[in-house]
Amino acid sequence: MNTIKKIWRFISSMGFAIALLVVLAAACSVGSLVTQGQSYAWYAQRYSERTAALILALGLDDAFHSGWFIAITAFLCLNLLLCNVVRLPQLIRRTRAAGRPEGALRLSGDVRAEGIANPQALFERLRMPKPAACAAEDGSAALFASRNRAGLWGAWVCHLGILLLILGFGLGQMTQRQYTAYGVPGDLRPIGDTGYVVSIDDFNVGLREDDTVEQYTADITVYDMNADGAPSQSATISVNNPATLFGMKFYQNSTGWAAKVTVLKDGEPLQEAVVCAGDYLAVADKPELVVYLNAFYPDYVLVPGVGPSTATGQLNNPAYLYSVYFQGQLLGMNALMQDEELTIDEYTVTFSEPQSYTLIQIKADRFTWLALIGGLVTLLGLVLAFYVQPERAWAIQGPDGLWTVCAQSRKGGPIFKDRFDRAVSALNDRPNP
Amino acid sequence: MLQVENTLFTIVMLIYFAAMILYFTFIAVKRDAIAKIAVCLQGAGLALHTAALVCRGIGAGRLPLTNQYEFATAFAWGLCLVSLIFVVRFKFPVLGAFSAPVTFLVIGYAAMQSKEVRELMPALRSGWLGFHVSTAIIAYGAFGVSFVLSIIFLLRDRMKAQGFLDQHIPNREKLDVISYRSVSLGLLFLTFTIITGAIWAERAWGSYWSWDPKETWSLVTWIVYAIYLHLRIRRGWQGRAAAIFAVAGFVCVMFTYIGVNTFLPGVHSYA
Ligand code: HEM
Repeated sequence: MNTIKKIWRFISSMGFAIALLVVLAAACSVGSLVTQGQSYAWYAQRYSERTAALILALGLDDAFHSGWFIAITAFLCLNLLLCNVVRLPQLIRRTRAAGRPEGALRLSGDVRAEGIANPQALFERLRMPKPAACAAEDGSAALFASRNRAGLWGAWVCHLGILLLILGFGLGQMTQRQYTAYGVPGDLRPIGDTGYVVSIDDFNVGLREDDTVEQYTADITVYDMNADGAPSQSATISVNNPATLFGMKFYQNSTGWAAKVTVLKDGEPLQEAVVCAGDYLAVADKPELVVYLNAFYPDYVLVPGVGPSTATGQLNNPAYLYSVYFQGQLLGMNALMQDEELTIDEYTVTFSEPQSYTLIQIKADRFTWLALIGGLVTLLGLVLAFYVQPERAWAIQGPDGLWTVCAQSRKGGPIFKDRFDRAVSALNDRPNP
Repeated sequence: MLQVENTLFTIVMLIYFAAMILYFTFIAVKRDAIAKIAVCLQGAGLALHTAALVCRGIGAGRLPLTNQYEFATAFAWGLCLVSLIFVVRFKFPVLGAFSAPVTFLVIGYAAMQSKEVRELMPALRSGWLGFHVSTAIIAYGAFGVSFVLSIIFLLRDRMKAQGFLDQHIPNREKLDVISYRSVSLGLLFLTFTIITGAIWAERAWGSYWSWDPKETWSLVTWIVYAIYLHLRIRRGWQGRAAAIFAVAGFVCVMFTYIGVNTFLPGVHSYA
């Protein structure tokens, strides 16, 4: 029984919280120092084989989703939850007590001034609310005022906010769905297995006078293929201006080059399609034959030691880097200039009409709002903890009719004492009426 | 306008340098009148620095908070502002003497950056950017001041009670409260920075938190200051231990600010 109590006490203690925070900070820094998501070979080349093995064994290649990272976070949540549960009754009691004179009148306060003729004026200078008249234990007249009791809740509210934030983030990570779709105007793309399709109606790259990109804008329409009549919703999206359609959020994520690929067979048109760089086209009547558009260079230059590159973003000297595969075997790879032809047996391939394609990111995270509320509650907690300082002041009248004024500030310490002293001396400075 | 900014920037650097020398002189010759001049000079420098930032904003046609130079000069501005507020509010010119070199280092770092005004890439064209970066400036400024205060706190323990410094440096208890004030200001604004950054990232990249190195290091910084807050209220750990964490916190701030861009590329690397 005793051990259980001890464990409970430890898990809800602030010491444990500090230890967890130290470990969490260390874990985060390690996670940021080790490049994430690489292979054994990559780490072995970068560090050494032993280090690479260690990185993979400890899950440092995906630190923020590893079991130990989640365990630390889970312990922190448990710690926070228990800490807040344990402290709640005590906090309610303290908040009530802080507004009542009974406890205070027995104390001598952090600061005190004696022989005060007009305590109300001192209360006013301390920015206290109008004091309530009451009686001290011995029956003498007394005054009491308190303010900013909400400040007692700062840490509690902040802890609650962090819990909500972690909860919202965790639930989001577990349940979110994410897809991408890319294409040029006129393309219709399925959105994963959701049964929705997105049509790219238009895509524009807005350039400034100096040719830098000002904005990428896409017009899209999403169709619900599950429902009768395939109802649709449309929106214009651009970077920093996503749109929500059918409960999914659509982001203009990035862009790249695409080109029209034309295939002739024995000189006769066989097929024509727009292919994005990085994508491929299987020849219509011989699907084992595949043409990849590896990359596109709008202003092609061959830089010694670097390889193919582009001098500017303008279409001055377009070149298409392609590769051809037959039954999975690489047949050849080269760069083709505008109007040049690639001949493979009876097939002739040309690339033309370079254009920008859009990459759209599609996301459904039903818990973003919870994380946002968590963040805002945390902020509120911090404001309460730091800037709403609980203070109280009380005064007891002596037999000579003069008052002893005492005051307390939860966190003001010596600064509150300075303020109090200044208020008292300002009172004394006033000319006697 | 940018030419004006350039001239103002140079003048501001000179003024900050002069203020620093005056603060040092104040400590060397122990004359309060010199401290007063130093404080006034720092105030004047701050006013001109504000004017320089405004000129840059007008010249560039946007908030001047988007590249290394702009952020560095704004960081120096935030540091100067927060330290001036603390110097005046707590009648603590020795704080000015310790924070002036830090401000001067930061503005010196700014001077080494390219001042070219470049057009913004689309992801940076967001109203949230303004909130994100301006809150970061106040947070960094406040953390800079808490760093200086903690150094003073740690040094104070080693100094023998000397008439002048004893009179001009608050006692341990008061230093601790002032340091707490600056950390809390910084932490509040850092929380704002992280939240506005997350909102912006969500709109620009579709993910409000993606463990990008800069994000991760701002979280590490945030946690280090949270540790400071808890140590401060823990018996036996107040004072020195907490002050050491406040120093460590600022090391994290500087790493988040400069180290991450240099050593750990991520989506923030253009900033
Ligand atoms: C990410 C984790 C945490 C953060 C960011 C955090 C933040 C804070 C903040 C801002 C304060 C107010 C400090 C002040 O007023 O000066 C505070 C106080 C406190 N925290 Fe935490 N906290 C965390 C975790 C915890 C945990 C897990 C515990 C569990 C025991 C805990 C226990 C306390 C206590 C006892 C106080 C003092 C409360 C008071 O003064 O009324 N904290 N915390």
